[in-house]
Amino acid sequence: MSNWEILWSARDQFWSGFFSTMEIFGLSISAAFAIGCGMLYLLEGSRPRLTVPLRVFIDGMRMLPFLILAYLLYYGLPAFDIRLDAWWSGVGALAVYHGCYFAEIFRGARLTFPPGQVEAAKAHGFTKGKMFFRLILPQIVMQTRPLLGNQLIYALKDTAFLVIITVQELTAAANSLSGTYFIPTEAFIVVIGFYWAVSVVMEIIIKQCGRFSAKRGFDHV
Amino acid sequence: MFEKSTSESVRSEQTTPERTAPARTAVSIRHLSKSFDGVEVLRDVDLEVREGDVVTILGSSGSGKSTLLRCINWLERPDSGSIHIGGQRIGVNDAGRPMPVRELARVRARTGMVFQSFNLWPHLNVLHNVTEAPIHVLGKSKAEAETHARELLEKVGMSAKADAYPSTLSGGQKQRVAIARALAMQPEVMLFDEPTSALDPELVGEVLAVIRDLSAEGYTMIVVTHEMAFSRAVSDKVVFLDKGLIIEQADPETFFTNPSTERVRKFLEREES
Amino acid sequence: MNASAWHMLLEGAWTTVWISGISIAMGVTAGLILALIRLARIPVVDQLLVLYISLARATPLVTLALFIFLSAPTFGINLDRNVAGILALTLNTTAFNAEIWRSAFRNFSRDQREAAMAAGMTPWVTFRRIMLPQMMITSLPGLINEMSFLIKGSPAIAVIGIVDLTRVTNRISAVTYDPLPPILVACALYMAAIGCLVWLQRIAERRANRLAV
Repeated sequence: MSNWEILWSARDQFWSGFFSTMEIFGLSISAAFAIGCGMLYLLEGSRPRLTVPLRVFIDGMRMLPFLILAYLLYYGLPAFDIRLDAWWSGVGALAVYHGCYFAEIFRGARLTFPPGQVEAAKAHGFTKGKMFFRLILPQIVMQTRPLLGNQLIYALKDTAFLVIITVQELTAAANSLSGTYFIPTEAFIVVIGFYWAVSVVMEIIIKQCGRFSAKRGFDHV
Repeated sequence: MFEKSTSESVRSEQTTPERTAPARTAVSIRHLSKSFDGVEVLRDVDLEVREGDVVTILGSSGSGKSTLLRCINWLERPDSGSIHIGGQRIGVNDAGRPMPVRELARVRARTGMVFQSFNLWPHLNVLHNVTEAPIHVLGKSKAEAETHARELLEKVGMSAKADAYPSTLSGGQKQRVAIARALAMQPEVMLFDEPTSALDPELVGEVLAVIRDLSAEGYTMIVVTHEMAFSRAVSDKVVFLDKGLIIEQADPETFFTNPSTERVRKFLEREES
Repeated sequence: MNASAWHMLLEGAWTTVWISGISIAMGVTAGLILALIRLARIPVVDQLLVLYISLARATPLVTLALFIFLSAPTFGINLDRNVAGILALTLNTTAFNAEIWRSAFRNFSRDQREAAMAAGMTPWVTFRRIMLPQMMITSLPGLINEMSFLIKGSPAIAVIGIVDLTRVTNRISAVTYDPLPPILVACALYMAAIGCLVWLQRIAERRANRLAV
């Protein structure tokens, strides 16, 4: 049997690794997106008692490697009698970590958001929450989509760190296969191909969103 | 510089049999044509500039005058025709092939150019803007280049700003530094591409004054400009370009008081009003 | 945490610093060279570089480090794990740096290049004396940002057994049975290092903006 045939016979392991990675990725970026939006909403108010610690937290997260946060959740939290398994530590760390990056991206765009629109909304009697979710957030998300797209690719790559805290995902699959059959080159080429394909698909989707957004005139307000 | 050009200009004299004046030819342009995307910008242009002459090129915008100037140092490649600087052909070597970049750079160094938008190098201070090319193109020593640069900055009235960076200067000051930078190469011809067009009106005078001083010192200069009074005061010859054609070449008195074409008369009337 | 724990932690920090430092130096230089090659638009080579950059941007560092370290022996090359780690970090950061350099090239002012040509500078002198000094200033914020990303990605080399600042916390807690303190100290050290880079980046941005006037 050639090495590639060995790989083909072990395709189930790749698939399960791939689906595991996509599951972690999908769940954690959804949560990260929600966290990012939530943080932006909390930053909306001008109460320094809330915004200052929040911004310190966001900036602090952005100064940490992702893996050390995963360590903190996986190895550190038991000190407070909170025990998460590797999988949930990984998803939690990804969600919080990339949530902070999302929040920072949104915050950058919020700074240049035209104040006239906010005034117009206030004049029309919008409440703060309605104004945020119906007016500000959609525009900011559409406007920042290239940066969000980049961040999604970073998040996808960060899922591979979880192999270090023993999560069974795509890179772990390649690692164990290469250990079992001693075909590391082929195994990792296939896995890198998977990551690459997902990134390319995400880039295409972001571009398509760009076309939609241009049609709706989001870029020219 | 004077001696260097002597032997070469002998060659160019033979190509200009109609010339009568004793002065040597600094720039000779023959049958120059250039088009951009099928639009003819220059059509069969002939121009002779003698050493020590100041030639101003006038014309409405889009007449091709800037392109003509930029062809002289090969920033634009003409489609056909030839340009000689001090008797040496630029852009094409003796074998008729495109010049190698090093050789082209050497010929370009015989001209100095002043741009409409100054184009100073922002990472270098005023003094180093002036010394950069003498050191790294002419191979002068740092000390020699700096002494010369300080003289030139004195001449353009910028010696107090030798250590300043371009971003801290006004437009007029930038342009005066740019003039010093071009002079530092001791060029045989100075090319000015609308040197005052990007300046606030109150700063135009200081730059024109510098150029006028240079003309009095006998520099050979070709100036593309919109300043009529200036052109009349400093020129030895005025050239009028219209749609890529030279339709009038005359001394300034004739040009401004008794132009031979209707087109120039209209142009002058509009400029006066 | 006792003295030997602190000692181990600092050793881990040093490993992170020197491996990152070498990778940064090689990545910045190689990025510049790749950008120059891409500007030449050599057929086939150009397409290969585009493919490399796309792949390197999409490949997780952990996966890349494992790939290099595990597959090198199958080609008869015995890679030291430190070399494999440096190679992985460099291959990754070079792709990003190449894009930073390339955009600095493409955005370089045509007017200034013309001024250099008009002064008789050859393309090489123009590049060396006029373009490169300015490109270094304008690219520096982006390059420093990429350095932060490299340090944040550097724990990936733990996967091939290098004991860096992250991995060393496992070693320490294996003795002390108290993982939280070393992890928190490691966090503080990472924050200090990346905080420095963020601060440098801000200074670099200010310098770059001054140049743009």
